[in-house]
Amino acid sequence: MKEVTVRVSRFDPACDKTPRLETYIVRVNEGARVLHVLHAIHDGIDPTLSYRYCCGSGQCGSCAVLVNGEPVLACMEEARTGTVIEPLKLPVKKDLVVDLLPALKNLPPLQPGDVCVMPTKQQIDAIKPLRSCIECLACVSICPAVDVTSFSGPTAMREEMRLALDPRDSVNRVPQAIEKGLFTCTTCQACWKVCPKKIEIPGKAIEKLRALANKQGRTLPRHQEVAALVEKTGRSIPRTSESFLEKVGDVIEPYGPVKATVGFFVGCMYNLRQQQSAFDAVEVLRRNGIRVVIPKEQVCCGSPLIRTGQPDYVGTLKKRNIEAFTSRGIDTVLTMCAGCGTTLKNDYTTPFRVIDINELLTECGIEPPARLPIRATYHDPCHLLRGQGIRDEPRGLIRQVVDLVEMPSICCGSGGGVRSGNPEEAAALGKRRGEEIAKTGADIVITSCPFCEFHISEHTGKPVKNIATVLLEGYREKDRRKQGGR
Amino acid sequence: MRADDVIDCHVLVIGSGGAGVRAAIEASGYGDVVLITKTVPGKGGCTPMAEGGYNAVLKKQDSCEGHFSDTMKGGAYLNDPGLVRTLVAESPARFADLIRWGAVFDVTEDSQVCQRPFGGQRFPRTCYAGDRTGHEMMATLIDRLGLSDVRVLSEVTALDLLREGNRVIGALAIDECGDLLAVTADAVVLSTGGGTRIYDISTNSSSGTGDGFAIGYRAGAELIDMEMVQFHPTGAVYPYDARGRLVTEAVRGEGGVLVNALHERFMKKYDPERMELSTRDVVSRAIATEILQGRGTVHGGVYLDVTHLPRQQIEEKLPVMLEQFLKFGVDIRKEPMEVAPTAHHMMGGLKITTECQTTLPGLFACGESAGGVHGANRLGGNALADTQVYGKRAGEFAGKSEKRIKKIDPDQVRREKDRLSAFFKGNANPARVADELRQAMWKGAGIFRTAGELKATLDTVNRLATIPLSARSSRNLPECCTVQNMILTASLVCRAALLRPESRGAHTRTDITQAWDAEHSPFSHTFLSLAGEGIEKRGGAA
Repeated sequence: MKEVTVRVSRFDPACDKTPRLETYIVRVNEGARVLHVLHAIHDGIDPTLSYRYCCGSGQCGSCAVLVNGEPVLACMEEARTGTVIEPLKLPVKKDLVVDLLPALKNLPPLQPGDVCVMPTKQQIDAIKPLRSCIECLACVSICPAVDVTSFSGPTAMREEMRLALDPRDSVNRVPQAIEKGLFTCTTCQACWKVCPKKIEIPGKAIEKLRALANKQGRTLPRHQEVAALVEKTGRSIPRTSESFLEKVGDVIEPYGPVKATVGFFVGCMYNLRQQQSAFDAVEVLRRNGIRVVIPKEQVCCGSPLIRTGQPDYVGTLKKRNIEAFTSRGIDTVLTMCAGCGTTLKNDYTTPFRVIDINELLTECGIEPPARLPIRATYHDPCHLLRGQGIRDEPRGLIRQVVDLVEMPSICCGSGGGVRSGNPEEAAALGKRRGEEIAKTGADIVITSCPFCEFHISEHTGKPVKNIATVLLEGYREKDRRKQGGR
Repeated sequence: MRADDVIDCHVLVIGSGGAGVRAAIEASGYGDVVLITKTVPGKGGCTPMAEGGYNAVLKKQDSCEGHFSDTMKGGAYLNDPGLVRTLVAESPARFADLIRWGAVFDVTEDSQVCQRPFGGQRFPRTCYAGDRTGHEMMATLIDRLGLSDVRVLSEVTALDLLREGNRVIGALAIDECGDLLAVTADAVVLSTGGGTRIYDISTNSSSGTGDGFAIGYRAGAELIDMEMVQFHPTGAVYPYDARGRLVTEAVRGEGGVLVNALHERFMKKYDPERMELSTRDVVSRAIATEILQGRGTVHGGVYLDVTHLPRQQIEEKLPVMLEQFLKFGVDIRKEPMEVAPTAHHMMGGLKITTECQTTLPGLFACGESAGGVHGANRLGGNALADTQVYGKRAGEFAGKSEKRIKKIDPDQVRREKDRLSAFFKGNANPARVADELRQAMWKGAGIFRTAGELKATLDTVNRLATIPLSARSSRNLPECCTVQNMILTASLVCRAALLRPESRGAHTRTDITQAWDAEHSPFSHTFLSLAGEGIEKRGGAA
């Protein structure tokens, strides 16, 4: 047996204005789950603690709660001392019990037609990954879009797609899905990372529903414009001045001996907008022994098309991009745009390795920069944190230059076609990032994605810098000190 | 009662598992239906947890006669033959309902429903959706319920039935805040599931507390075969809090083997013909014996091994098992599971006709709450079929009941209020009383039973029934009522176990030797009601 101390949110609408955290110390068995801690509190200390549970084995979804801010199933999450247990971010009825019924009502029922067509094995196999939802509402709790728009939530979209795949359903699910906020999803992937059944809602429901919308001619006009631009120019953003690729050489040698050679996949944003970040990155790479090969015939990775349900031209883009690197015998391709990185890693099948700049610099080790007297906070790009599982590497690099204060990792609002298709929502989410940044008291915000850089800078007074820029500032300071002989 | 605390309807369904929801859907075709459930509908009970499958005769090479004889044999010939005939005959049609409503069952390349072999059956007739068949069915049923105009009262706990003379005319219930409400109905369906949470080690969800048995018994209905508790052979063994968690029979259906600490496939000693796919009572006794005789594992179980199966088969057919065991650090693709018997299903229950009519007019029952379908031992895959066949029939025949004027007896309401207010004066922690009950039942009314141990257990249970339970607030009232239902259910199990002087199916009396086998037993059902108790002789006479 072991002793566990937890803090649990208590709230009785009959007599409390706001929730408060109560501390409890209980003894539980080895291997106990959070649910057994709640039982121990209820059975041994305070029977008025209200919480839900049924199956106790991760199959009914009744017991979802927040543990240290993350939605989990209490019956499956191991009990650890020092944790905070709160209700999901849904209307609270009492203590840990939330009102599930409004969100559950958003789930559309199957409408059988007159004739029942038995699905084929292929259809069943397509439906099955979407079917194991236990309606725990963890995804609804964590979805940033649900907070700021009238989005029915991730699991409602999952159900629309499940029905769209089923020949026994007689309704066209696409218009309904659009009405319920299909295009408000930023594809931040928070939902499936907390899903106890690991249902890939963004890839298997949101993007696929948007693709069905495309077939029905319902793609947002703004998204259609982007697709047309990609087909015409190979880029998802208009060229307003000389691009990065037009300015830079074909091969850039490092300052010292070559530690590694990479091909550089630049991406539309760094190519045509945040060029300075790309130049800063190349400089950092040169200082750390990386030879950078930059094929000029590379084009848009296709992510703006994939996320908005317009996959038709993507095959052409994939072929051009893969060949640009394989024709030069490159076995490692570097990305610094989180969106391009997750696309090349997860939507492409490449013969070469794809690596994000934070991974590369961590793997090779960097020349230590000078420390700067700055307090920074870091914004995790969704496509880096969740799309590629890269969390510690940027923090390790940042901490070598500046002091880092953390803030919660929530989408900035610019992904998934939302910045172009739903600017009000993007602004609302951006504003929240600004508020979180202000709360940290940091002097600057660091991030590692051009969309985040671009979007967040519109919603905060603090400078928003790419991680490469900050590292380079550390190197410049180091050089200054050496020269100045301080 | 305030006028606005009374709801009137045509059919009241109590319980939202597979049987209750199916009954509500069916009844909605005949009039207003109210569904009361103490959980969130679709989340409570054992149906959403059920993993194995749904038995139905779908192939030309199979036959209802075969399904019938497998079920009778598996039930040790204690089943009511009429109930079994209806079960096997209507199971395929109820399966077709689910398919029409969108159920996503596994199919073969040519769109035939997959069926796998299961314990005690001579033909592979168990339809499945991976190892989450129950969840699949529940998702489909809740979907279909949403299309109907059934009024669902979520997280409302039924307390007792309302009666006008002998006839049941509704129920009193309590909501999550502890407020009393009454529902009057032309017919009431009890579909509250089973009750093996009265045992320390059980597969059941939190709602497996025997509420339907207790509520029906208190109203005067007759219950049969309450001693018939199925111990599922394979429940998890560690960590401590995961004891009893179901490890589906489908693991054995896919080819899993049982092995003791000496690495022997011991089922050879107990049922060499059927081995791991023998009936659950045989396998449970086998495992319990191996453990008692010292051939068990370190954690007190035996090994269930699927490491010889291809990875893909495990990942596709047993994903829930894989996930659950991985959470506890065991990769079933590489290492064996440790398992031991766990209290799982109540074959007995409210006595019903094939129209789900109980011995009280106005009261119907279906699913695990009802008795007689499975006899002395249930075949895996027959319970899910039972929920659909008898859920539909209960809804149909409750729906066909005559409309009548119902008058609530204020004395019954007052008695219920007195019962509830007594909890505010109580001093015993209901959680601790429930713990004591569970330990006593596991020890003295488990797999191997003797008259002495059963009597001692019954004494304990009766003593626990007198302890004044304490409700700290009105929100704690449902909990106290549930513990009372558990105690009453436990006493019914012990009493019935003492009434049956033979070993039959799941009921094993080690203090009795008998000269007959199940087919030739002189005994039929045990019966319990407020009016009396006993055991019927074969042929029906008591």
